Amino acid sequence: MSTLIIIDQSPYGSWAGREALDMTFSLAAFDQPAALLFVGPGVHWLCQGQNADNLGQKSVEKNLSAASMFGVEDILADAGSCARYNLAIEHLISGTTLVESIRDTIAGYNQVVFAG
Amino acid sequence: MTDTTLHITNKAPDHPRFRYCLSAFKEGDALILMEDAVLALTDQEQALPSTSYALSADAQARAVANRAPRQQLIDYNDFVQLTATYSRIINW
Amino acid sequence: MPDTLGYTFVITGAPWTTQAPQSALSVARAVLAAGHRIDRVFLYGEGVHLASSLASPPSDEHNWPHLWSAFLTEHEISAVACIASALRRGIVDPKEQARYELESSNLRSPFEIAGLGEWVEGNLKSDRVLYFHGAN
Repeated sequence: MSTLIIIDQSPYGSWAGREALDMTFSLAAFDQPAALLFVGPGVHWLCQGQNADNLGQKSVEKNLSAASMFGVEDILADAGSCARYNLAIEHLISGTTLVESIRDTIAGYNQVVFAG
Repeated sequence: MTDTTLHITNKAPDHPRFRYCLSAFKEGDALILMEDAVLALTDQEQALPSTSYALSADAQARAVANRAPRQQLIDYNDFVQLTATYSRIINW
Repeated sequence: MPDTLGYTFVITGAPWTTQAPQSALSVARAVLAAGHRIDRVFLYGEGVHLASSLASPPSDEHNWPHLWSAFLTEHEISAVACIASALRRGIVDPKEQARYELESSNLRSPFEIAGLGEWVEGNLKSDRVLYFHGAN
């Protein structure tokens, strides 16, 4: 049973992405295959150099960098969304894989889940 | 994963997730429109797959039911029947 | 496909912010009417507000937390509010009230507070998992 969690909202402006990440880590903690796909404004989760100190929030970049350590299998980003926001692969946290087709990507998982 | 998929969305047709939902739609899949998504029934800019269904209660509430093809309108029992038929379901 | 299917419901939209609790209740009634089973209702994110015992809408409006708890009690369905989502949003049971030395608790029966493990279990054990999100 493989699960793809999709995050389509920008970090910091909403809590839904953090709760999606908690779901992903939770699957991994129970040894269930889980991967993350970032689309639309959600690709900003993956930017290097985030600093949310002045917002009083923890940087999500650190949380995400720990994802592979927690057993999250893949961190995927929609290539079209990255292009739109002028993000090249070198701007993104290491270990990110660009995918060309959301349709083909989600076809590879038993379950596809949004957190909100 | 070759199974067909039941896509369920409650997002209005202008919502980005509505677009992702339609772009993920494959031959053999079905689509249920609920809540704000029923506005797609009368959306002149958005073609829907032929196997699309809309919750009648939501369409009536928003006064789009009488302008939609009747065969597309379903009740909650039909909704459950569809979820039982398709083993893979994505809630967009 | 077995005749009787087990469903897990995940509600992430709050009452009075989204239609999610209403849609979910209508679908839940239809699931039981079709002879299927609801293994668990899991409240996540904003959905935990459905477990508040303090929601007090005007008397001519539906009280969704009350309607949901009556449905769950009548059909003896397990209902869980995610602990991390709930505590952040001020949905607290007596145990957490004591642990964090809070003024009061407000978790509506029969909801319980538990972790995401209950959701993972639903993914593994239920035949179907349905999500009810907000539409924003």
